[in-house]
This record gives sequence, structure tokens and C-alpha cells, in this order.
Amino acid sequence: MAAKDELLTLRYRLIPDRLLGELLTKSWIDNVIPALALAVTVIIMTILIPGYLSAGNMADLGRQVSEMGLIALAMTVVILSGGIDLSVGSMFALCVLTALTCMNVAGLPIGVSLAATLAAGLLCGLLNGVLIGYLRLRAFITTLVTLVIFRALYDIIFPRLASAIVGSFPTSALWDLIGFGDFFGVPVSFLIFAVIAIVLHIGLSRLRPGWRLRAVGGARRSAYNAGINVKFTVCMAYVVSGLLTATAAFLFSARLGSTGADTGIGLEITVLTAVVLGGVSLGGGRGSVGNAIIGTVLVLILSNSLIRLSMPGSVNQLILGLVLVAAVLFDRKWIKNRGKILSKVYVSPTYLPLQERPDPGDDAYLAVNDKLGDVDLIGLGAVEGPEDVILDRDGNLYTGTRHGNIVRFFGPDFERHEVFARIGGHPLGLAFSAEGDLLTCVGGMGVYRVTPQGAVEKVTDETNRSLLSIIDDSRLRLPDDLDIAPDGRVFFSEATIRYDMSEWAVDALEGRGNGRLICYNPRTGTTRTVLRNLIFPNGITMCRDGQSLLFAETWACRISRYWFDGPNKGRVEIFMDNLPGYPDNINRGSNGTYWVALLGMRTKTFDLAMRKPAFRRRMAKRIASDEWMFPNINRGCVLQVSEVGHIIGSYWDKAGENHPSITSTCEHRGWLYLGGVSNNRIGRVRVDNADPDWTIHQDYWGA
Amino acid sequence: MMSGLSSWIANMLPRRDAGISVPAMDGVLKPNSRLEDAPCILKVAGLDDVAPVASGLVLSAGSSLVAFPVPSGGGDAETISTFEGTIGFLAVLDDGRYAVGVTGQGVYLGLPGDFRLIEFAAELSACMTAATQAADGRLAICIGSRRNTASEWKRDLMEKGRSGCLCLLDLDTGSTDIVAEDLAFPYGVAALADGRLAVAESWRHRIVAIDTASGKRAVLLEDLPAYPSRLSPALDGGYWLTLFAPRRQLFEFVLREDGFRNEMLKTVDPEEWVGPSLSASTRYDHPLQQGAVRQMGILKPWAPSSSYGLVVRCDENMRPVESLHSRADGALHGMTGICETKDGVFAVARGAGKLVRFTGNSAGRAAIEVQS
Repeated sequence: MAAKDELLTLRYRLIPDRLLGELLTKSWIDNVIPALALAVTVIIMTILIPGYLSAGNMADLGRQVSEMGLIALAMTVVILSGGIDLSVGSMFALCVLTALTCMNVAGLPIGVSLAATLAAGLLCGLLNGVLIGYLRLRAFITTLVTLVIFRALYDIIFPRLASAIVGSFPTSALWDLIGFGDFFGVPVSFLIFAVIAIVLHIGLSRLRPGWRLRAVGGARRSAYNAGINVKFTVCMAYVVSGLLTATAAFLFSARLGSTGADTGIGLEITVLTAVVLGGVSLGGGRGSVGNAIIGTVLVLILSNSLIRLSMPGSVNQLILGLVLVAAVLFDRKWIKNRGKILSKVYVSPTYLPLQERPDPGDDAYLAVNDKLGDVDLIGLGAVEGPEDVILDRDGNLYTGTRHGNIVRFFGPDFERHEVFARIGGHPLGLAFSAEGDLLTCVGGMGVYRVTPQGAVEKVTDETNRSLLSIIDDSRLRLPDDLDIAPDGRVFFSEATIRYDMSEWAVDALEGRGNGRLICYNPRTGTTRTVLRNLIFPNGITMCRDGQSLLFAETWACRISRYWFDGPNKGRVEIFMDNLPGYPDNINRGSNGTYWVALLGMRTKTFDLAMRKPAFRRRMAKRIASDEWMFPNINRGCVLQVSEVGHIIGSYWDKAGENHPSITSTCEHRGWLYLGGVSNNRIGRVRVDNADPDWTIHQDYWGA
Repeated sequence: MMSGLSSWIANMLPRRDAGISVPAMDGVLKPNSRLEDAPCILKVAGLDDVAPVASGLVLSAGSSLVAFPVPSGGGDAETISTFEGTIGFLAVLDDGRYAVGVTGQGVYLGLPGDFRLIEFAAELSACMTAATQAADGRLAICIGSRRNTASEWKRDLMEKGRSGCLCLLDLDTGSTDIVAEDLAFPYGVAALADGRLAVAESWRHRIVAIDTASGKRAVLLEDLPAYPSRLSPALDGGYWLTLFAPRRQLFEFVLREDGFRNEMLKTVDPEEWVGPSLSASTRYDHPLQQGAVRQMGILKPWAPSSSYGLVVRCDENMRPVESLHSRADGALHGMTGICETKDGVFAVARGAGKLVRFTGNSAGRAAIEVQS
């Protein structure tokens, strides 16, 4: 048995199951499969075609990539906006014609020619944009029509200029450099393409226009409701497409110096194949510059290799068509099932052996009583989700609600109440600073400060990113409780970095050290993580030595002490272990005691499940979350604990009517106030042997 | 070894979730609060079974028989007999005699003050759950399990017990005859019009018809959303069926998880097991399902509780036509006994130790309700 347990421990320590789920949450995971396909294709071609990776071949590929890549980017931008641009081929031909006419026939300077070419692309794009964006025509049919119109224009103009174009050559060194030059073996046109791609990537992924474009493509109506100018954004996508196509045409003209009747014919289908193969979703909103480039390279390698393997052109087309169908099919299935796969693999329970649960009946202090059966109720129905409660020096009671407010009840009778501050997120832990500011941990937001006048300010909402974490753990997801050191530093717990507040119960199923302890230093304004891998760290309270604090690890059923200052700095020591329930907030009490709120009681079946991670994983996969096994959080209790961690009293609600789950306590002048995160009332009960003058404010800050 | 391998393979394969899905309470079984709202007319701890007699009702509670003269006679409930073991079933024969199955002993026949014991082997007497007089005059007795006693029903479920049987007792000679074996906790029996017996097989959540002569079985009603208990005839020719605890996805899941279940059986007190129960537990160490967490001072009526109150009326073909519920937030849970007389329907909630009275929707009543 013991050997088996050790094996289980090792297995869950060494194999990081959770990483698969975390990888799937990343947006770049969409690129992995096209990238792998590309790598495989390159390897196959290297084996099939001798000398495939030669410098000359690569430079040639580089030039082709730069031209087709730009058109692929154009297509990507349009598809991201939720549309499609079939006219890129004809637009490309028109732009090539413009460039060559300017350079070869009119002999204009290269700058003017470039401007003219871009203007041609812009006009074509603007036509599409206005028709589709402002006049709300269907993208498919509109660009199909403009494809025909642009091609017709080309067919009308080209024969009249064909001989003039071939007849003269421009004498521009820059023109030749763009067409044939290279820089340490890298073609100049490829460098131009690289610069444009990087700029576009930043624009699409990091800047506002890109975000808006994705929003419009992903969910047009929501984007509209969010205040995005949808018509303008769509129109601009086609304009950008035109400009990129014109740039590609300019590079093409410089390289070939001539054009033919078939220039740009069938280009749209090749580019579409490339883009979809690269992973840009035809549904809109999903895709990136990286996708477009991967797809372009893949398609070029495929078609070039097929030519070199002396396949006839029609077979070449056939194969590309099949590849397009396969890519579209895969895209559809992937988009549809990605979320499903993620929800199946994300929950990743681990092995958490707890000691045999102590039987409360065996302990005189712990035995079930009904001291909370008859509490005074405060604010019944007026507050929802009072996770933490605290009283100020004037005896007014504060609590957070799930509506995102902090509510103040006026002492001494607490009959009257008002909304003290509107935060926007559910305030959890509360603490008063020496200056009388109320600091609060807000689920999903961060740590906030409320001044005595009720003004809300952000204290911190991010910490340092850890090096080896796949999840971006710099943002605070679930700050839970906080306390303030004598020098003003704020220590707070973040219960879990893997789940949002609404899913906190799933973290119970995992039982892993997903949480951390974080310190905010007001002197430097910095936030730093001080302890990691804590098992749902929850309540925090300062010890009276001013150098250490107590923190509760809920699923581990223990309370530890951490020294942040003094000779023991950095030490962590277990303060209380093997609690009969799940500890939530810890608070100071009178006569040197501490109060520990237990939000629920341990059950033997759940303890057993914690030793069976595979069982919990299957449970999470196969049954609805409402049906999951859970510890009994319909019964909680409050423990009174001595300075050294001995239980010296307990307060139970036997029937679980008023306080089924208790998440926090606050002692004030001989009364104990009780809060519960899923409750709609605050309780108040007399404390036996309490110091009737003791207040928490005085204990922390004197006076 | 083989089973270990096959379960390992089964765990690896994409799973069809059919095995852990629980039928929704819908259609005729759509939840209401009629059972919860039914007036309680008697409260006795351990109340279990009920049968009609000329002077009112007779009920079993623990090891006692209780007479309750409703409504004709009036007056209080009165203990009329006490036995040495827990009463497993209570039946009233056509000739007015009582047949009382006493756990660990056998069947007592007679009238209060004048009972004759027909002794049973320990194997058969440990878990007698229900009885009724068959068409041929013999007493059909459900033996829930031959491995566990009646009070260990939860263990029998968790062991996937199917050692129950249906036996026929000749009242004159005292000889017993087993007509059906391998039943998964038969908990209720009623005589069908065609001479067969309808048996409620709890752990298979169904009602089967068993031919007493050939032993041939036919399923009458299956895929019940709760574990059926006793059956009794309704006045209109149909049947009343009680269901004593709800099925939940978690329970079905635990039943498939052999490793977890076996360790739970070995190391945990039955009171703390995951599984159905007769009443909402007040214990702080009772397991909970996430959806049953009390929110804002309220337990949702649709919460996945471990106990539930459900009574169903079936027509003569055992098709459900009406249901009465006491939902997760109610208290009238663990229904185990029911009978209908001209004064109404009387149902026993063993979980609450209560007897309630209500009136069923007869055809006429249903029509009136539809009109209004």
C-alpha cells in the first residue's frame, strides 16, 4: 500500500498532466499543426529531390514567397474581417500593368511608379470595401464580380501596351535591386516582405485596429454592440488588401519586367489554399500573419516540388485542390471541437493524501454544538455573498457583495445600510490600513483601495510573470484575502491561477498547488510573488510579532506560518495541520487568539477521492459539474485558536440553516460577526470570555 | 486480472456515457410539490409499510405494528403488537389475517395477539422486503438480498447486489418455493390481473412481471429515475408505486468505479458513503454534490440531493399516469409504503417517519383540471 502511494505521488509529481490543457488554451496552438505539416513536407521533399535545400533554390523560393506572401496577407486580412477577396488575382494583374506602364512606357521615376501602383490597388480595394462594407453586399459575389471587371479592364488595356512594355527597359538601379538584388544572400524583395509582415503582425495582434478587425470577423453583431464601427472596419480590410496586392505586384514587376495575358489567373485559389492551409479560419476572426506565411511556404514548396517531380500542371492543380478541401475540413472540425477537447483535458487532478480526519466528537473543544443556531441576523436578503466582514473603529460593518459593491451597515444596531463603494467585481478579503483606507481583494480584478470617502483606486492587478509557467500568471485571477504588515506592505493570497472565480470549485477537484502568496510594496509600487504552489491559499492574517503571517491552504486543510521579516525571514512552518474542515479566512481575536472560519467539513469519501486523481479526472470528464462529488460545504464552523495553534473553542450551526458555510469572521467588542460567500446574511453572536473592549482596528493600529 | 485489463481498456476508450446517464424527470414524472404539500396525518419514527384493514390502517414501524383508525373510527394510533426483529413487510390476506415478515425469524400469520410463526432459513429471512397474496392463494415474498440484511440495503446496492429472489409461501403447509432468482433487490410486489406478479427491482430501476408457474419474466416499466420500492393496487385497476431514493449521475458513476467503491466499502462508515439515502442527512460529514450547495440560504429544489420523495400511479399496464413529488428542498423523502382506500391514498415516508394522505387524479378529476 505504502509503495503504491509513493508510486502515485511520484507519478503525479513527475508527469505534468496539466500542461496539455494549458497549451490548448494558448491562441498560438492553432499554428502548431500547419507548422508541423510544413516541417514534414520539407523533410519529404529534401529526401525526394536531391539538392533541395541549396542556397539558389532557397533564394528563388524567397522571392516567390515575398510576392505570394503579400497577397496571402491581403487575403488573411480580408478573411479575418469575416469576408473573402476573390478579386486579388485580377487586382494583381491590373497593378502589375500599372507598374510596368509607369516604369517602362511612361519612364516615370520609381517613387511615382510605386505611388501609382499603390493607388491602383487602393482604388480597387476601395471599390470592394465600399460595396461590401458600406453597401452591405455579399463579399463572395461582390469580389467575384470585381474579379471579372478587373480582368476585363486588364484584357482591354494590356494588348494596347504589350509591345510598349516589352520594347523598353527602365534604367533604375533601385528597380533592379528590388527585382534581383540580395543582401548577404537574402533577396531584397524578401526583406521588404519581412518588414511588411512584421508591421502587419504587430498591427493585427497588438494594436487596436487589428483587435477590432478580429472582433468584427469573429462576431459582427457583438462588435457592433461594443461600439466598433463595423462598416468602416470591413471597408478598410479591403483597402489594406488592395494595398498589399499592389505591393506584391510592384515586386513582381521589378523581378520579371514584363507581363502576360495569364498574369494573376487562378492566383486567388492558390492564395486561398495557402491561407486556409496555414490555419486562417474561413469563418473569420481567427488567424494570423504567421498562419498566412506558413501556408504560403507550404503551397509554394508543394507546387514547386510537383513541377520538379515533372507532374503535369493539371495534376498539380488537382493536388492543390484536394489539399484545400482537406484543410477546410480540418479547420471546420478543429474550430468545432477545440473547446470540447479543452474542456475534457483541462481539469487535471493530482494526488493529495490527507491524514485520517480527526473526529470532532473526540475533542471537547471541537464537539458539535449549536452556538450559531441562534444568531442575530444582519442584512438578511440585503447582501448576497458577504465573503468577508470587517468593522471600522467607529463600529460600522463593511462587507462585499457579489453585485460588486461594498456595503456599509451603520452601528451599533446595523439596521441601516448603504452602498459604500461600487467596485465592479466581487470583493472578497477586506482589511483596514493604518490610514483608515479599506483594502479589498476583488475576484477577477486585483487588489483595490477604498478611501474613507468611498473613492475606489486600484492598488495592483499584476505580479511578476514566472519563467516556466505556460499560463500567463502575471495577471491576478482570483485574489482572495489580504492583510497589511506594520510597515504598510500588503500581503495577499491568490487562490488559484488556473481558474476564474466562478470555477473555484473545480480547483477543489484538482487539489494541486495552483495558488500563491503575493506581496505589494507601496514604497516601490511593485508586486512580487513570494510563495508559489500553495494549495488554494485563502485566509491571511498578520501575527502579532509583526514579522510573520498565517495563511490557510484550503484543500490541504492546514494553516502555515510564513516569516517575511526578521531572523527567520523566508521560513514557512506548519501552524495547524489536519483540520476537520476546509479553512477559509483567519482573523485575530481578543486575548491573543485567532479565529479560523471553516467553509465546509471534510468527508471521508472526498478524502478518499483526493487520493484517487484518476477517479476525479474521470468524474470531471463524464458527469455534469452540478453532479460532482464535493466536500460538505453545507456545514461549516468557526474555530477559536490559541496563539500557538491549539483549538480552544468551536462554534457550529448544527442545522446549517443560517450559516451553512462560513468564510470569515470578525470580532468586535465581545461579538463575533460571520460572513459566508454563498450566503445572504451576516450573523452576529456573543463570544464567551471575550474582552468586551477589544476591536480589530485597535489591535492592529492602536488607538 | 482479466477484469482489471478490460476495465483498463474500457477506461482508455472514448466512453459512451449511456452507463451513467439518469433519465430526466419529465412528462408524467415532471416534478411538482403535491407530495410535499400532502397533509401529514401520523408521525412515528421508523414508519415503513402500510396496509388497509377494515378498521382503518395498519402500519409497521421498526419492530412494532401500529393500528391507525382513519378516518372512520377516529382516534389515535396504537401499537398492537411488537416483534423480536424489525418488520420487513406487512401484508393483509384476503381472509383478513395479517402476514408480517420479521427480519431474522420468518413470517408471522394471524391477527394481533394470535400470531403463528412460519420460520425461515436465515438466508431468506434476513432481507424480506415486501409480500402480497398471489392469485393461487400463496404468499409471494420479495427477498431483497441473500447476502445483506434489509438494513444493509446501501451495501447491497454498492456491491451491485443481485442475489434477491421471489419466493412463494404456502400458507397451509409452510413450504416455500423460489420462482425467480438473481433479482437486483426486489422491493415491491403486486398481483397483476392476468395472474402474474409485478415485482419492483430496485437496483435495476424497473418493474418486471414474473409468471409464478414458469418463472418467465417480462419488463413492464424500465428506466425509472429513482429506485422503486413498494407496489400496491389502486382502486381504478392500476397500481401505486413508491420510489425511495433518487438516482444520480454520481451514484451511477461510483457504481462503475470499482477501485473507489471497494475502498469506500472497506474503509468508510456506510452513513458517510456516496449514494442514495432515505432522508436528507443532517450530518456534517455526509458527502455532498456540487449542485446541492446551499446558495443564499436556499437549497434549490432541483439540487442533486441524495434523497427524494416520489410516488407514481401507473395504469393497469404499468404505464405511469400521475406522479407526486417532494423535491430536494422538501422533507417528505424515502417513500416506502402506499395503499389506496375509499378514503384516499395513504403513503409512508420512511425517511421522515410520516404518513400522509392525498387523493389521486382519477380520470374525471384530471379532465376537470385540464378544463380549468
